[in-house]
Amino acid sequence: MDHIRNFSIIAHIDHGKSTLADRFIQFCGGLEMREMSEQVLDSMDIEKERGITIKAQTAALQYKARDGKTYNLNLIDTPGHVDFSYEVSRSLAACEGALLVVDASQGVEAQTVANCYTAIEQGVEVRPVLNKIDLPAADPDRVAQEIEDIIGIEAGGAVHASAKSGIGIEDILEEVVNKIPPPKGDIDAPLKALIIDSWFDNYVGVIMLVRVVDGVLRPKDKILFMSSKAQHLCEQVGVFTPKSVQRPELKAGEVGFVIAGIKELASAKVGDTITTVKIPAAEPLPGFKDVKSQVFAGLYPVESHDYEKLRDSLEKLQLNDASLNYEPEVSSALGFGFRCGFLGLLHLEIVQERLEREFDMDLITTAPTVKYELVLRGGETVQIENPSKLPDPSKYDEVREPIITATILVPQDYVGPVMTLCNQKRGQQVNMQYLGRQVMLTYDLPMAEVVMDFFDKLKSVSRGYASLDYDFKEFRVGDLVKLDVLVNSERVDALSLIVHRSMSQYRGRELVAKMRELIPRQMFDIAVQAAIGSQIVARETVKAVRKDVLAKCYGGDVSRKRKLLDKQKAGKKRMKQVGNVEIPQEAFLAILQVSDK
Amino acid sequence: MHTISLAQLGSSGLSALPPLALYIHFPWCVKKCPYCDFNSHAVRDANYPSGLPEAQYIDALISDLESNLPQVWGRSVSSIFMGGGTPSLFSAASMDRLLEAIRARVKLNPDAEITLEANPGTFEIEKFAGYAAAGINRLSIGIQSFNAEHLSALGRIHNRDEALRAVEIAHQHFANFNLDIMYALPQQTLAQAQADIRLAIECNSTHLSAYHLTLEPNTLFHRYPPQLPDDDLAADMQEMIEAELASAGFGHYETSAFYKKSQNRDYRSQHNLNYWQFGDYLGIGAGAHGKISFHDKIIRQARYKQPSEYLAKMAAGNAIQTENVVEKAELPFEFMLNLLRLTEGFPLALFTERTGLPQSKIFAEIERACSEGLLERDLHWVKPTDKGQRFLNVLMERFLP
Repeated sequence: MDHIRNFSIIAHIDHGKSTLADRFIQFCGGLEMREMSEQVLDSMDIEKERGITIKAQTAALQYKARDGKTYNLNLIDTPGHVDFSYEVSRSLAACEGALLVVDASQGVEAQTVANCYTAIEQGVEVRPVLNKIDLPAADPDRVAQEIEDIIGIEAGGAVHASAKSGIGIEDILEEVVNKIPPPKGDIDAPLKALIIDSWFDNYVGVIMLVRVVDGVLRPKDKILFMSSKAQHLCEQVGVFTPKSVQRPELKAGEVGFVIAGIKELASAKVGDTITTVKIPAAEPLPGFKDVKSQVFAGLYPVESHDYEKLRDSLEKLQLNDASLNYEPEVSSALGFGFRCGFLGLLHLEIVQERLEREFDMDLITTAPTVKYELVLRGGETVQIENPSKLPDPSKYDEVREPIITATILVPQDYVGPVMTLCNQKRGQQVNMQYLGRQVMLTYDLPMAEVVMDFFDKLKSVSRGYASLDYDFKEFRVGDLVKLDVLVNSERVDALSLIVHRSMSQYRGRELVAKMRELIPRQMFDIAVQAAIGSQIVARETVKAVRKDVLAKCYGGDVSRKRKLLDKQKAGKKRMKQVGNVEIPQEAFLAILQVSDK
Repeated sequence: MHTISLAQLGSSGLSALPPLALYIHFPWCVKKCPYCDFNSHAVRDANYPSGLPEAQYIDALISDLESNLPQVWGRSVSSIFMGGGTPSLFSAASMDRLLEAIRARVKLNPDAEITLEANPGTFEIEKFAGYAAAGINRLSIGIQSFNAEHLSALGRIHNRDEALRAVEIAHQHFANFNLDIMYALPQQTLAQAQADIRLAIECNSTHLSAYHLTLEPNTLFHRYPPQLPDDDLAADMQEMIEAELASAGFGHYETSAFYKKSQNRDYRSQHNLNYWQFGDYLGIGAGAHGKISFHDKIIRQARYKQPSEYLAKMAAGNAIQTENVVEKAELPFEFMLNLLRLTEGFPLALFTERTGLPQSKIFAEIERACSEGLLERDLHWVKPTDKGQRFLNVLMERFLP
């Protein structure tokens, strides 16, 4: 086991983690040159386009170190975005060490800090690396000091590297070999393997990524899932280099994949322990806590007859994304659809994009919302995930909204604007700490305000320098009201929002103004109104268009005019008919485009 | 004894063939206008250092017609339209030779309308007398505007005086002619549009076409859009133009077409009416389209667009690039695309006569449009309401297959 090193990379988005992983794979010859594409570990198209890592991936590398010995390095890649932080702790559970990669010009960011603390709590050895050292703006000494100040780990000897230019790659690998401890475990003990991740493959069924803690796992072993008690026959084991390569066995200390002809993801739950039926382990390994949805939105097919297709697509998507929840929902405006739960706004966007891209769905997404707690007149407490379900105020005593504790790291120059933003979003300051050049702000914020556009706003008021991490704190009573939108006097349930009373008038005005811009002019005037209860707080009119006619049409024109009208018709198809008004998809998300005072 | 026609069975059989018109395309212009999406090619760019291949092109047109005669055997031709491009770049002698060749090969109705599109440039105006002598009995003059700024924005090479001069000469030789006017031009005001239409009315032509300038794909304007009046102003212009023309004694018979009302004569364009009534037409010349009905099918043809390619193919015997039978499912749309443009609407029986399909194919959509106030109908006749005329695209879309 002395020649095994299991490690992951902790880094903020854009700090160069995926590029660094590429360099390791290249250096150790995991892939031929012709097989290298940029960000090889990010296999989903969306990951490559957005430059983010959504699911954990691994690569088993053979590294011939300066001491002459060859080491098996298992790199476990982790996502960098706050929405997917639960995946980080899973990946770390399979490691003895982690490289903390920090951009030598940008410095430490909040997400990195949070992930680093998770690693330290889990007893993982954290080694700092200063990346992008060759940028003109790089200031390695200052950033090293910042790592010591904020995270509290020794950073004086941090490796200087540039993943992009290939500087310092071997030094980092030496650091991994020399500073990260080899795995402990008993190869002769009964099998204990932790499921770190699992996903569905159309050809082989469920693939599980496991870390073997004790014992040995071989094909033909009859395996037992300790929490679900399911039994399966192990068919294949192997490692990713990152290509999948079959191996005769996986031993204690190793990370690899297991295929056991499993058809449902539910029977291979992440966090479960695999052992053998023949000689079962006495105790399972500690698992992971379940992830809960934080953000909710309705997903509806534009064409109502696509409902079945949407259900099938969500089902398939869930095979690979256990954090996606959905249940059927009916809207009087949009018909049959699903209320879906997501980890965050980015997760929502990714699911929406995958449904459109991989499953060719035409969707209407309603504005994202959070879960509210309602104390009814009778004293009963219920939760609602859909604003239109908020009953008349006479029916309940109080509404409670979820509050998060947000940790924001921002350079001193931008503290003012960030605090103003937090106050606008009804935040309460909990703490403020100066850490070298940066300031760590801690705020309690209503989660509903954060899921909307807080992250984008934070980036824009701090010129991209502020970073954010957050945790759910509690449900807190708030003066909250339901804001309804009426289109030609008809209430459109899919547009209802729950907002704080102090912001309700303003939001109502801005929302209908935005809707007026987004709804195309039609054959008649369209009134768009915002209402709280029976009181109209804002009104705008989409003036009727006066004509829609082709000026010319002669003998040779048929196919050209046909094309034009086909296009126009296809455009209308992407709109939803509500009453006799056609509302485009983006209008249902108009609230996201409303700016605050 | 009952004979049940194919048409009544709905299996695309025509009980009678519609009138047949002849369209002749002339693909050259002095220069290409930035709004024009017709098949036209600038003379200067063409590979003809010694001028247009006029004689060669006339020969090609004659062979083109000849090779298509079997498709229209025994049918007479009700009208001829020479369009472009700029047909008036061709000499009167060439037109005379062409018309003579046509008369020798098809039966041309004695009162057939024979229209030539002409630009109001000095070079063209001088040929008007010759065109009349060749048998052309109607002109369509592309004035577009009398305003110097707008003419230059449209890339037109004539000026106001030439336009008025062209009208004067046209009056000397033609009892029937059309003026093309465009509105909603770059930076145009309502007053300017009104000045244009009033001057056009003073010209006392028998027909006026008033087109809303449209940015068509594959034009310079589409790629570099000019600053155009907004939708409301353009709609104001249209209403103003319709009112001006109505009070000047013009009838409005198609979306953009107006005719001088007269006791003695119907000044509507017979050739264009035939398109809008879903009649047949043979199209000869580069890029020309044709629609020809048979008792069991309707076909559409298109010829090669590039003049040089057309000439080469024609020399080899055939310049038809595509020829296809119109699918039955397309016919309701194609019929409605044309017929709904007519303000007077159409007799319901015409649908079956022209498409061979039962009226049930369009009935549901007609009923729906009636209930929304876009169409009105009685037992035999359907016509667009004022609102329907303004929202023809909405109506036509519904008949798309």
